[in-house]
Amino acid sequence: MSKQIWETRPLEIWGKAKELRANFQKAINEAAASPNSLLAHGNTGGVDWSVGFDGLNVVEDNPIGAIMASRSDSFSREARLASEIRGWGRELCGYVNNCWGCQFLGYDSPDGAPFPYRQLSVPLPDPCDQHAKRGQQCMDLSPIPRFGADWPMYLGPIDPERESALVEHKVQCILHVINEIERIFGKKYDDEKLFNVLDIVPRVQVLVTKIAQLMANVPAPLGLKELYSFYTLSVLTKIDPQEMLDFWKAFVDEVQWRVDNKIAAVATERYRWMEAHPSPWHFLRYFRYMEQYGAVCIGSQYSHMLVEPFKLNDDGTIGREEQVKVPEGQKIRTREDALRSIFREARGERFKDDEYFRKHVITDFAKAFHVDGAIMPLWRAGVGCTLTRKEQGLRLSEMGVRVLHYEGAQPGDRTDLDEHDFLDRLDIWMESQGLEKLA
Amino acid sequence: MITAGVDAGLRNIKILILDGGKIAAKGIAPSGGAGRAKAIEKLWEETLSSSGLRKGDVSKVVATGEGKNDVLFADKLVTEPIADARAAKFLLPTAKSVVDAGAAKTRVVTIGKDSNIEEVVLNQKCMGGLGLLLEVIADRLGWDLDEMARAKAGETVVNDGCPVFAELDALEALNKGASREDVAGAVTEAVAVRLHSILYDKVGVSKDATVFIGGLAKNGAAVNALQKRIGANFTIPDDPEYGTALGAAVIAAD
Repeated sequence: MSKQIWETRPLEIWGKAKELRANFQKAINEAAASPNSLLAHGNTGGVDWSVGFDGLNVVEDNPIGAIMASRSDSFSREARLASEIRGWGRELCGYVNNCWGCQFLGYDSPDGAPFPYRQLSVPLPDPCDQHAKRGQQCMDLSPIPRFGADWPMYLGPIDPERESALVEHKVQCILHVINEIERIFGKKYDDEKLFNVLDIVPRVQVLVTKIAQLMANVPAPLGLKELYSFYTLSVLTKIDPQEMLDFWKAFVDEVQWRVDNKIAAVATERYRWMEAHPSPWHFLRYFRYMEQYGAVCIGSQYSHMLVEPFKLNDDGTIGREEQVKVPEGQKIRTREDALRSIFREARGERFKDDEYFRKHVITDFAKAFHVDGAIMPLWRAGVGCTLTRKEQGLRLSEMGVRVLHYEGAQPGDRTDLDEHDFLDRLDIWMESQGLEKLA
Repeated sequence: MITAGVDAGLRNIKILILDGGKIAAKGIAPSGGAGRAKAIEKLWEETLSSSGLRKGDVSKVVATGEGKNDVLFADKLVTEPIADARAAKFLLPTAKSVVDAGAAKTRVVTIGKDSNIEEVVLNQKCMGGLGLLLEVIADRLGWDLDEMARAKAGETVVNDGCPVFAELDALEALNKGASREDVAGAVTEAVAVRLHSILYDKVGVSKDATVFIGGLAKNGAAVNALQKRIGANFTIPDDPEYGTALGAAVIAAD
């Protein structure tokens, strides 16, 4: 085992990241209080179109639900219970139950502001969990307009004909939603703003991918906990597109500098592990716990592939797998084409590591990032549930990567994770690989 | 050289003292719940006393088990699979795997050629409490735990996916008039099914070079059902509940 001690230091870009996140929260609070702004309930992906409406702020339950789980044990348990006693299933996505419970109880949101009630809801179904149900509670409680947007999908090999037909269906759904928002709320849609975003987003995606690529270096310049702090600024938290681009440029520069100067996330790095799906958001301290063993998490398929599927090139470099896209060089001139570029695929997959379609991804990922082990939660519900996790674990074991599984309900549900057992498992896992805590 | 291993488990504390590679003394006591540290200290003194040893005679103490942090006199702490693997090699030098099934948890450890640990499989939640299940059922039947050996396979079947449901099924069967032997047979079969699943969770176990330790190994009916199910012949020490403590004592002698 390496006894190398690397230099480590805090990221300088933390300040800017916190400022962007605070501005996002401020915009939500202002929108909730202003008669001229709209607060929409939406989904993680596919809401880029919303920038065309001035004063329309989209709030996504995932990060808010996760923050609620982190806020306090009693708060989280109360919120979930409030949801459960109204009949919502215990195994419903934890993010959703947290948010709904919070609304039922009339609690303040995690930053102390009143819970941001929405003026409209545009739930987009998603193959990963119960996104389609998300708008229902918002609508029932207020009530507010709820737009149904379909998410038709299929499984199996990519079929261009089906792709085209199903993508077109999604596009027409959103065109309808845009027209209805204009009609109901008297808002004018600005196509140029949408085109501008679609020009910027791919450039941000390149930068996000670059960060992922840099994580293959030894020592790792960041840990997964840091990555999780930033990735919401590109995907889950909608901020000014140009500001987002500037932020990611600066972030890449700093991480590249860390790589060039061997600045490590964990000074004693001697063990690298990967993950595949979201961590328990209220219990991220296990990353720090693992540092006692000189272990660093170099990322997960979840953190590295939110923008595009990961691909290990023949020459060992890390790239992005090509998907069905708007043909290269085709300039977006219409709202329809813009939406087609957002909803560019209809073939269903989960987190782009589809066990049936891209079996190689999990092992390629392990190779590319030089990992010794993998921690793979078995979530019963919601984001990244257990489906195919054991198969992936076996595949990694066969290539010599030691795998640790632990169980829980859902990353945003803190009521059913045995934290002590989890830490015990980490100790057993590390000791059985010959590693002891460093003095 | 005299060394000791302490296994502070969920249900019981086990202490084993080794003297020159031979077992000099051993002791077992309830875990003591919130007063575990005191219970460990008391058992430590009793075990020493039973063998005529004094604390100063013991060169090194290694502790393991869920309550290992409560072994305040330990020189070293190790996680359970480390001790399990060492115990297996001590008991059977050709051991390739070890199964440790206790009151709360079950572990399977595969051992490499150079005695390193190749893989550890830990039970998942629904696999927990198999040892406790047997205790609870024995209590329901009005038997001592040892009497569970009277189990016979019959018509009764209980849930083999969850110990809680298994207990409910067993009670229902008793209420409908099933014999105690029949119910015990159904429960031990269910335990064997669950053990089978963890044994083959990842890499499987050796059919003829596996050591079976932990309190559950004392239940001949369950072990036989498991061996029959997978066609294996386990090596089971005389007092299997001391297995992990033995491994800790061996480590202390290193």
